Amino acid sequence: MRRQDNSYTIVFALVVCALCSLSLAIVTESFKARREINEGFEIKRNILKAVHLKEPLPARAPQETIIKIYEEKISGVVIDREGNILPGRIPGEEGKGKEGLPLYIYQEGNDVAAYCFPVEGKGLWSTLYGYLAIEPDGMTIRGITFYKHKETPGLGGEIEREWFQEKFRGKRFWDTASRRQVQVLLIKGKVSEKMPEEQRPFYVDGISGATMTSNGVSSLINNGLQTYEPFLKKIRSY
Amino acid sequence: MPGIFSRKEKKIVRDALWENNPITFQVLGICSALAVTVKLETAIAMSGALIFVLALSNMVISALRNFIPSKIRFIVQLCVISTLVILADQFLQAYLYDISKQLSIFVGLIITNCIVMGRAEGFAMRNPPWRSFIDGLGNALGYGGVLVLVAGVREVLGNGSLLGVKLIPESFYNHGYADCGMMFLAPGAFFLLGAIIWIQRAISGYKESP
Repeated sequence: MRRQDNSYTIVFALVVCALCSLSLAIVTESFKARREINEGFEIKRNILKAVHLKEPLPARAPQETIIKIYEEKISGVVIDREGNILPGRIPGEEGKGKEGLPLYIYQEGNDVAAYCFPVEGKGLWSTLYGYLAIEPDGMTIRGITFYKHKETPGLGGEIEREWFQEKFRGKRFWDTASRRQVQVLLIKGKVSEKMPEEQRPFYVDGISGATMTSNGVSSLINNGLQTYEPFLKKIRSY
Repeated sequence: MPGIFSRKEKKIVRDALWENNPITFQVLGICSALAVTVKLETAIAMSGALIFVLALSNMVISALRNFIPSKIRFIVQLCVISTLVILADQFLQAYLYDISKQLSIFVGLIITNCIVMGRAEGFAMRNPPWRSFIDGLGNALGYGGVLVLVAGVREVLGNGSLLGVKLIPESFYNHGYADCGMMFLAPGAFFLLGAIIWIQRAISGYKESP
């Protein structure tokens, strides 16, 4: 076979592809355990961030500190679609043939300070994964974090920044007058300029230049709240 | 004294670091130089990833150069480069998780860094593997050096710290000192990069050809 032949070109391309794929597969597989540890840790850190600890996490805290605080303050349970806690179950085994929704409870002393659960939904380029924390009154958002996404840095990617996540604190998804769940929506522009005073708790400033990501965040929050509504109904007192 | 580098090889490195520096002379790879230089830590990790990718891709492509069919040479080059980039990315995700989160997509974007393709096509296709390896190393260091310089200045001026350690004492802030917000944003890197190119060209006596 000469180098100009089509058959040579095809064989060469196939060999290069096979070698590249093989080396990628070997390396990805051998790093898998490490990656899973990192991801598990990242989830713990995000739950702690979402629930807004009474004493905030120290900046640049080492992994051990974060895991220790997590184990002290957070307990994980699994609930069913009717909002009942399933005894003897821990989060992390859903999807392996077992039904249920994970729920994390943040306790400060003997009092529940927040409930937290995972949320996910489509953004512009990718699925956004995060955690949403609810105040014990069952009507107010306490915090939100995003730990995995592939949005544009500087635009949709801003969802992982603190300035954006802080805007959700104290937003309400329950109308006490009509006793109904209301949607928390991200809007274009500033809530303080566009919305009448009494409507402001239900709206959040969107990210300019990232409307699709903002819409995705709106819908993933409301989907999550709907899924967990049977449980939230139980903790809510009128 | 005969070292591991011959005279020609030393010249390759010196060229890449100084007279023919990929950023200041060829003005390539600017996109990532702006994006990852807010902090020194990320700039160092990015430079490390580029050193790994560029040195090895140059070497592998050079070793294959007599076998690569010229019709598909760009595709083969890209295949080798992207494999190495994914390896580097996987390594960062496994062992330097926090930094890899901050670098986000910019490690993946090394694939499209003009320096890498430029050296593969311009040097590795015509030179033996060892020399290509050195050329890749030199160019990546030339890129990394400028990155580290820009990031160092940006972190000190923009955040008052270096590698996360506070340098400017609290009392300065109490007396009205403020961090330079512009250095924290992309324009800060633009101005710095411009200044570095200017200084470097003034010293090396570079003249734009008319």
